[in-house]
Amino acid sequence: MLLSGCVGFGREYTRVKGFSHAEVGAVCLKGTTLEPRLGNAPHRLCETPSGLLNAIGLQNPGVDRVVEEILPGLDPEEVHWIANVSGSTLEEYEAVTRRFDDTPVAAIEINISCPNVKEGGVAFGNDPDMSARVVEVCRRATNKPLITKLSPNQTDIAGNARRCIEAGTDALAVINTLMGMSVDLRTRTPVLGNDQGGLSGPAIKPVALLKVHQVHQVAGPLGIPIIGQGGIASARDALEFIVAGASAVGVGTALFYDPLICPKINRGILDYLEEQGIASVEALRGTLRTHAVQRCACG
Amino acid sequence: MTRRETPSIVEQEAEILAHEAHPGEQYVLRLRAPDVASQARPGQFVHLRCGPCLPLRRPLSIQRTDPREGWIELLYKRVGAGTAALAEQPVGGRLPLLGPIGVPFRPDPRRPRVLLLGGGVGIPPMIFAAQWLRGRTPWKPLALLGSEVPFPFTPRPSRSSVSGLDGTRAAMPLLEDWGIPSRLASRAGLPGCHAGYVTELAERWIAARGHAEDTQILACGPHAMLKAVAALACRHGLPCQVSLEEFMACAVGGCAGCVVRVETPLGPAMQRVCVDGPVFDARAVFGPCA
Repeated sequence: MLLSGCVGFGREYTRVKGFSHAEVGAVCLKGTTLEPRLGNAPHRLCETPSGLLNAIGLQNPGVDRVVEEILPGLDPEEVHWIANVSGSTLEEYEAVTRRFDDTPVAAIEINISCPNVKEGGVAFGNDPDMSARVVEVCRRATNKPLITKLSPNQTDIAGNARRCIEAGTDALAVINTLMGMSVDLRTRTPVLGNDQGGLSGPAIKPVALLKVHQVHQVAGPLGIPIIGQGGIASARDALEFIVAGASAVGVGTALFYDPLICPKINRGILDYLEEQGIASVEALRGTLRTHAVQRCACG
Repeated sequence: MTRRETPSIVEQEAEILAHEAHPGEQYVLRLRAPDVASQARPGQFVHLRCGPCLPLRRPLSIQRTDPREGWIELLYKRVGAGTAALAEQPVGGRLPLLGPIGVPFRPDPRRPRVLLLGGGVGIPPMIFAAQWLRGRTPWKPLALLGSEVPFPFTPRPSRSSVSGLDGTRAAMPLLEDWGIPSRLASRAGLPGCHAGYVTELAERWIAARGHAEDTQILACGPHAMLKAVAALACRHGLPCQVSLEEFMACAVGGCAGCVVRVETPLGPAMQRVCVDGPVFDARAVFGPCA
């Protein structure tokens, strides 16, 4: 699937000749709040080694305009459109989710891991109690499938995942961006207008893979699917996430590298399955064979 | 059917046909890109991967095109990791390119006198605008270009007379050859150039002509220069379009990373430099005239 925040509200990449939503299973729309948000001041972006630091700040026109003006222009037959809900309070998460309930979106993703807003976002996502409460209120507000997007910026992501599952999430998106900063040595100020931002891209792939593996230990036995994401830029990357336990994978930053990357990833996945004599992605999922080691985090 | 944008942006591998280094860490890059060359309009840009180790592309304004031969030309200054990597790319190599992108300049045909004001790496869109306006009715462009480092061409004394500017003779040879008058400004003491800003040259030209109701401004350059240009436009009641730059990721409108704060009839808004721009009305960016 194409990840929230990377593809606007579904129309933007149609500017590129040869781009097709048919290459993906789902498209997750831009994070949406109850009221319109202007987002953060520039600069909002900074390239870092093998990564991209961003602080967009949930710029969006508000849920009413998304539902009334944007969703009618999206064909539900073309691809599964997924709404992405953000908020600063429990009430906001509930209200935005409820507004999307009676729309053609295929599912609703709860973003409790946005690092670029002062309230809500990752402040909720790093607190398992708050994460569970957000999921609970959203669960009450819709019968659509709920996906909870988890933050890597927390100590025990698997424990948080368990709480979100108990609160009623149907799936987990693992992971959102890692919080980071970049400094302009000429001015000795942070490069980003928001001072800090979220790191994405290949630099975070090893972190994301481990988090998917850890969450899979909890979610796998319960039959809760994981959408693996974080630095996927090739078929090999995608396959590693599937082996670690992801049922689906998401592409974000790599689209900025190559807007036509999805068919290449799909082709590569199929080639690998054929080479290895594996019948399907499902047969590959969660087949990671870990070493029987005593782990020591002491260096 | 999902509502779509016009699929106008092409992704291709562009062969490097020429790559010249000039003083001041400036480079002129010529790429084989037939689709871009035939479709691009002044003000538009391409989004170029600068090297294998830097996957995020960099936006670079188009300076010239040759639709018949299928090439485009870019001018850039080596300032960061992206342009440093680009500077190392050899002739014959290939670079992934997206383009053409963005809202181009839209000059008002009721004002045939077009002041093209370019500063530093803001010069390329002015050259492309000159190329496009050249020989077309009703346009009468005048290019005033400024640089703090040596120009990426050898200035030549102008053969044409320009109202109020005959004390400054240095001109751009390419524009002279196209029959488009130009004058150069630099505070770096470059011979024949006006020792100051392009806005000072524009003021002199307007004052010498005594009227400006037939004039409009297209401009690209550093933020401080564009602010001064916007103020100049306000003083004389001239329409003014400015081309902006900002750090960019997707360049197709998907990430909202490259925004600029603008004033709209509905209030302040964050608009994307990549697809809502890069050309904006100066008053939207710098505020209405006082």
